[in-house]
Amino acid sequence: MVELREHEQTTLLTLQKLKGKAPVNQIVKASGLAHAAVMRASLSLTMKKLTRVHEQKQTVITLNEEGRYHAKKGLPERRLIRGLLKLKGKASVDEAVKEASLEKKFLTIALGWLNRKGWATIEKKKQVLKAPKEPQIGVDEKLLSLLDQKGLLIIEKLNKQLQDAVSVLKRRKLVKMDEKTLRELELTEAGWKLVKQGIEIVKEVSQLTPELIRTRNWRKVKLRRFDVTAPGPAVYPAKIHPVQQIIQRIREIFLEMGFTEIRGPIVETAFWNFDALFQPQDHPAREMQDTFYLANPKEGKLPKRNIVDAVAKTHENGWKTGSRGWEYQWSRDEAKRLVLRTHTTSVTIRHLAKHKEPPVKVFSVDRVYRNEKVDYKRLAEFHQIEGIIMDKKVTLRDLMGTLKEFYLKLGLKKVQFWPSYFPYTEPSAQSTVYVPKLKTWMELCGMGIFRPEVVEPFGIKHPVLAWGGGLERLIMLKLGVDDMRFLYKNDLGWIRRSPICQ
Amino acid sequence: MPVITLSKNRFSTFIGRSITVEEMAKWLPWAGFDIEDVEPDYVKVEFNPNRIDFSSTAGVARAFSGLREWKTGLAKYEVEKGKVVLNVDSSVSEVRPYVLAAIIRNMRWDDESVRELMEMQEDLHWGVGRDRRKVSIGVHNMDVVQPPFSYVTSAPNAVRFVPLDKVEEMSLQEILKKHEKGIGYSHLVDWAPKYPLIIDSQKRVLSFPPIINGELTKVDSQTQNLFIEITGTDYNAIARSLNVLVTALSDMGGTVESVRVNYSDRTVVSPDLLPQRMKLRIDYANELLGLKLSESKVIQSLRKSRLDAKKISKGVLQVSIPAYRIDIMHEIDLVEEVAVGYGYFRLKPTKPATITTGKQHGASEKANHVRQIMIGLGFIEAMNFILTNEVAHFEKMRQKVSREMVKLANPVSTENSIARVELLPSLMKNLADNKHESYPQQLFEVSDVIRISEKTETASERRLHMAGVCSHPVANFTEIKSIVEALLADLNVKRWKVKAARNPSFLEGRVATIHVKDRKVGILGEVHPEVITNFELENPVSAFEIDLEEV
Repeated sequence: MVELREHEQTTLLTLQKLKGKAPVNQIVKASGLAHAAVMRASLSLTMKKLTRVHEQKQTVITLNEEGRYHAKKGLPERRLIRGLLKLKGKASVDEAVKEASLEKKFLTIALGWLNRKGWATIEKKKQVLKAPKEPQIGVDEKLLSLLDQKGLLIIEKLNKQLQDAVSVLKRRKLVKMDEKTLRELELTEAGWKLVKQGIEIVKEVSQLTPELIRTRNWRKVKLRRFDVTAPGPAVYPAKIHPVQQIIQRIREIFLEMGFTEIRGPIVETAFWNFDALFQPQDHPAREMQDTFYLANPKEGKLPKRNIVDAVAKTHENGWKTGSRGWEYQWSRDEAKRLVLRTHTTSVTIRHLAKHKEPPVKVFSVDRVYRNEKVDYKRLAEFHQIEGIIMDKKVTLRDLMGTLKEFYLKLGLKKVQFWPSYFPYTEPSAQSTVYVPKLKTWMELCGMGIFRPEVVEPFGIKHPVLAWGGGLERLIMLKLGVDDMRFLYKNDLGWIRRSPICQ
Repeated sequence: MPVITLSKNRFSTFIGRSITVEEMAKWLPWAGFDIEDVEPDYVKVEFNPNRIDFSSTAGVARAFSGLREWKTGLAKYEVEKGKVVLNVDSSVSEVRPYVLAAIIRNMRWDDESVRELMEMQEDLHWGVGRDRRKVSIGVHNMDVVQPPFSYVTSAPNAVRFVPLDKVEEMSLQEILKKHEKGIGYSHLVDWAPKYPLIIDSQKRVLSFPPIINGELTKVDSQTQNLFIEITGTDYNAIARSLNVLVTALSDMGGTVESVRVNYSDRTVVSPDLLPQRMKLRIDYANELLGLKLSESKVIQSLRKSRLDAKKISKGVLQVSIPAYRIDIMHEIDLVEEVAVGYGYFRLKPTKPATITTGKQHGASEKANHVRQIMIGLGFIEAMNFILTNEVAHFEKMRQKVSREMVKLANPVSTENSIARVELLPSLMKNLADNKHESYPQQLFEVSDVIRISEKTETASERRLHMAGVCSHPVANFTEIKSIVEALLADLNVKRWKVKAARNPSFLEGRVATIHVKDRKVGILGEVHPEVITNFELENPVSAFEIDLEEV
């Protein structure tokens, strides 16, 4: 037995009443179903071979404005000849027109058709019209009045004569034509068989309710079958921001590699941000155009005197580090100025100053600031990734090996190391990684060993391996975003539709 | 980073053999250059600002030849003893105390070399000279002036001369007021009663340092003999800059001749191109690099970096450093020279033996708990900048701007003028930016704000906050109250209570503060319709914010 839905059953029964064949419109009227419901039912019933659909192209013909006018008043030639006949079948054109009250604009048409239909003769010189008798009503006139009565006609259903007349009226620009598809539904043999067996319409239920379950009534009702292939309405899971997802992954990598996370001030003294890292006070990077200085509060406090003195002397003449230093007069006031940290290395050196015993393995992924004009590849506020290893006998090659491991965990297998320069590391290196997705090498992290001028004033006695880089470039690469600003637009559409797994 | 364009032909001349741009681009990165562009007849590279000697093709070629082992060891520079004198008037100590000079004879060069000399000067002005304050250089056609030269000072209106590339005479004062260089650099001298000048025996002006040279001694490719003067506020810096310039000109074919610079209390023979000496312990280098290079291998590597070295005791080398290597200030710098000479490409990565266990920071742990809870409650995470401005942060929220906060002194953009003290204004902005997206919208952020704090070293502190907003046609107090209650329960916060409160950002009667152990830790409520309108939103918004440092 074929499973039928409520609408399908109703459609079948209606069709039976309509003697097994009817246009869709008629079924809609007779069944009380919505047009769309009948259409859906006709499709599914046809698939089940219970009905057949006949599709017919139809041309619907209707009168236009002029057509309707003539339908009421008669064609111009008919009106003219009636006028003429009232004048006993012979009169000048002017007289006939007057008698017929024919509008001027129709005169040429009327004369032309009188001549073509042979209803009257015209003596050209004197402009005299002659007609013997009232001509019979023509097919074109029949069609015209038929259209006037019915409003519309279907060309394909007209007899040959009338169909010919259609082209006449069309040429005279009195009608409009529209193509339509007519759908008729017909019961197949199987369909007839089914309706003859009798169909009892069962109410369908779409939502299973607690009530239906409790009363066991779900057995009695028909639970509507769903189109399981239809798309569901969109829902979006709440999720962690795509940038944060990547930060989390990078933090995991560090933690997997045995690094401890550190966190420190964002508002920082120039001392920890620059001086402690052996950046001279007149260094261009410390200037206003690169660094955010604070208007409020303006100054912070310097650490203990012995530390400050060691740093100051290292700048001035190298102190005990063996360096020649920067050879200038170091200023406490300059070091007290507050800035938004330009790197997380300020947090690193703060941490090392307090943790001098090896080993130290720390990292941070945190916000840093540059006083720059923002564009698609530059932000004033962004994230820096930084990793640090301090231990006895660690080497530049160890640093390279650590970075290699770090990149490998990010899925970047090919890496190269080049000589480079950073103010607080020596030797320094730059790393480039091969990005298969872009088929290109890209600069990612810079690295090096902290200079003696950096570590010795704090009493740090073992090599400090350091590396760092911008997070956002990596993220743009991973997420295929080409404007850095977009990362922090919090575009809900983007967040909602960014896969968690990628 | 500074940039230099290396023409294939010029580069070939300096290295003494023909070379392809591909070979240049292959090897230059191993000397520390970043390749910017490779074209059929030139390679454009960036160099690190400490290596100011790379500002000339000659300087790059020196390093390149060493790396390829075509020429290794110290490049020797001869200084012929000259008779020219530069007298220093003691009055210069009031404005720009130091000067040194050199003469280059028999230059045979072309427009390209002249252009490179100018660029080298600019790189030195910027990199070492701190934009001419510390060091400024004047290069002159020596054949049109008459030594001895003098470094003197002059009253602003006492002397007139035609500045470079001009036709009319101007007084020093006019130059500072009207000339483009004068306006740009006037702050370096305009505070002094008298301005510095370099003049010849006929009192003709060679230059008005550090502002501009005279048109008289303008250098072009026809100039054969150069007089170079260099003035500044830091004696070592001008001596080193002069060396960088003079060695490059020597490599370009000139003969270096010394100048006697007579200060009131001493005479200096300038330039001094004698190599600097520094000790290098072989163990120190090997330990840091992770290598076991023999003494001879270390010497060979140093020679490839264009240094000389000889053993002076067991495991200790005496390294000679050419006059142009002004970046070397510590033994550690020699370690890097060993690495570059040895070849970074030969350094095989190793894994450090250091064993440690990792631990995340408490703040991250807390933030991650919050994330887990808020995702469970159906909130999407937003990430916003700490930097904001007073209009977005206070005015739109109907808050007074009078609160204490971190203010920036010099922001490039007015968008960023303060550090946020709350998260909610950013979340409101996020709702405003997402009006076209389907509702309901529920957003949260867990991140830092910055508060002024007298107690701390940095006079401020970062505090971990969290905030959430719900926006949809029936968003209300009850809803956000349930959310906050669920959040506090999951955070395992005990003994909290809520008190009716007033806050201009929220609707009166529908706002409350959250208290833990009698400390105010947050706020929740229905956002004031005016605030909603300020952000051009239409749906009601309920919101909360909690200071996580307090819970």
